[in-house]
Amino acid sequence: MSVSACKKSGGDEGGAIKIGVPVPLSGDSASAGQDILAAAKTAAAEINEAGGIKGRKIEIVEADDACTPQQSAQAAQKLVNSGVVAAAGGYCSGAAVPAAPIFGRANVPFVLDASTNPVLTDDGQGKVFRTCGRDDRQGEFAAKFIVDTLHAKRVAILHDNTTYAKGLAEAANASIKKNGQAEVAYLDALTAGQSDYTPVLTKIAGLKPDVLYFTGYFAEAGLLLKQRKQLGLTFQMVGGDATTDASALRTAGDTAEGFIATTAPLPTTLPAAADFVRRYKALNNGSEPGPFSAYEYDAIKVLAKAIEKGGTTDLIKTLHGLEEQQGITGSIAFDEKGDRKTLTFIAVTVQAGKYTAYKP
Amino acid sequence: MTDFLQYLVNGLTIGTFLALIALGYSMVYGVLRLINFAHGDVFMVGSFAGLAVLTGASTSGPMTALAIVGAVLAGSLVSGVLGVGIMRVAYAPLLRAPKISLLIGAIGVSFALEEGVKLLTHAGFRSYPHVLPQTMLLSGPVRISYSQVVLIVLALGLMFGLWAFITRTVRGTAMRALAMDSDAARLMGIDVERVVLTTFFIGSVLAGTAGVMYGLYYTQINFAVGFLVGLRAFTAAVLGGIGNMVGAAVAGILIGLVQSFAAGYVSSRWADVIIFGVLIGALVLRPHGLFGERVAERV
Repeated sequence: MSVSACKKSGGDEGGAIKIGVPVPLSGDSASAGQDILAAAKTAAAEINEAGGIKGRKIEIVEADDACTPQQSAQAAQKLVNSGVVAAAGGYCSGAAVPAAPIFGRANVPFVLDASTNPVLTDDGQGKVFRTCGRDDRQGEFAAKFIVDTLHAKRVAILHDNTTYAKGLAEAANASIKKNGQAEVAYLDALTAGQSDYTPVLTKIAGLKPDVLYFTGYFAEAGLLLKQRKQLGLTFQMVGGDATTDASALRTAGDTAEGFIATTAPLPTTLPAAADFVRRYKALNNGSEPGPFSAYEYDAIKVLAKAIEKGGTTDLIKTLHGLEEQQGITGSIAFDEKGDRKTLTFIAVTVQAGKYTAYKP
Repeated sequence: MTDFLQYLVNGLTIGTFLALIALGYSMVYGVLRLINFAHGDVFMVGSFAGLAVLTGASTSGPMTALAIVGAVLAGSLVSGVLGVGIMRVAYAPLLRAPKISLLIGAIGVSFALEEGVKLLTHAGFRSYPHVLPQTMLLSGPVRISYSQVVLIVLALGLMFGLWAFITRTVRGTAMRALAMDSDAARLMGIDVERVVLTTFFIGSVLAGTAGVMYGLYYTQINFAVGFLVGLRAFTAAVLGGIGNMVGAAVAGILIGLVQSFAAGYVSSRWADVIIFGVLIGALVLRPHGLFGERVAERV
């Protein structure tokens, strides 16, 4: 890095433009964080190779939020202090919630690629943006999918008490209840990090649900799939978007076959992402992008577009005023809260150890 | 009723791991009056050592069984040596210091091991290869897999072996003498240092074995796995009457059952509250644990 990397300001006076990427680089979600960071670097490399933004390079500044509120607040402060003009990242909603006001106070726009809790943009005073979806919309989609497509009459919903998982579980629960065609037989949480979920699964099995919707993270999803098979349980397991990480499949092995997840489109199901996937693999020793990598890539690209249009000051205003951009995850424009105006959800299923688009 | 039996089977499986680890806490407390907070992390390191062997070995066909045995041996040996090393490097210099220094030293070792493994394994969780057969012994309403049976039998075998060692061998007798009164034991000509090292070695070997078994069974481990498991095993050791081997084994299985029934009949969210509630309740009624005797306290 050049000397300018040490300067406190990433502002308008030349040198590299710093964009902060706060993601979990330690803890159970570390692999997701690494995939997101790699995607940010892929986007930055591409922009820099094409000459940067008006001759200035983009510099990615990483910070480990460990998916915990305390460390996330520290990471956000560290990024603000190092003079980033914008932040693009976040994985666990529980970690992004305390980070958002820290970026907000410094007028640094925070573009989320994976943190889906509604509170983030609802309370973000227009300074928080997302290229990913919102839990309440995903919950609606999941409820509709489970009832209409899977024809479930009894649904069990399991979360892990984190901000994201609980929000998604409650959104799905409310949506199923409102719809009235199926009943929610079970709504409770497991404690993450326990390894043995056979007691929870046995209890759920006793309630004879058709579908178990697990809204937690991929580490637990893998264990649940494996132990569901061990217990010989036959209900369909459906997960939320945080279960679509390939490392869940390593834990679950062949017990993951037929698992369904509700999610915003994944790199593997996005035709426009083919070019990105190729470049990402070339830069990362052939490893596949994670489920949120494409959303991070788009976040960096949108930020670059906004900086090119309006410079690094008043970036928040420029982002709101930005006309529709064609990203690899679809067309991107932000509403007044900072959410994407259009974003669809899909269902994917595991076939031969890979996530593929679900076909009924 | 079938639910009850299934909870029982689940609980026994969880309890076996806890019992094996609880024994280590209890043994070390017996000879040094030290709560070895690094013990859970010795379990974790054993688990990673087993994973390293399984990753390197071919795990298909007839070599699988060999790879599993190799992994268990590697895990137990690495942990055993680690336990002895921790004793020599971190605890031995503090033996004459106030007990609180030793306790803080143990917590320090625990953090050092966790952070060290975190740096080495890139912090996320690691998956064990799926080598245990999934065939069922019982696949009716209640399900028991052969793996579970083998696991429980192996653990019980190790516990029986430990019991035989402590009651039937000279070194084991010396260990018990040391647990009763270390000064008197020294006066009777017992090489205290060697007995203490043996205790650390055996306790750590049990933890390492449990670590590999845990990895094989759950197929997912991370650098922090020793913390929660260790805390519960420690609870079991206290509940059983710390220093008492039979107590540690029985209370380990008991805690596993409590965890399973609590998650089943109440909620998984309440499992820890109930486990520690049982501990507090038991200690109020029997301050020296279920199997503990009154011993002169020197902490």
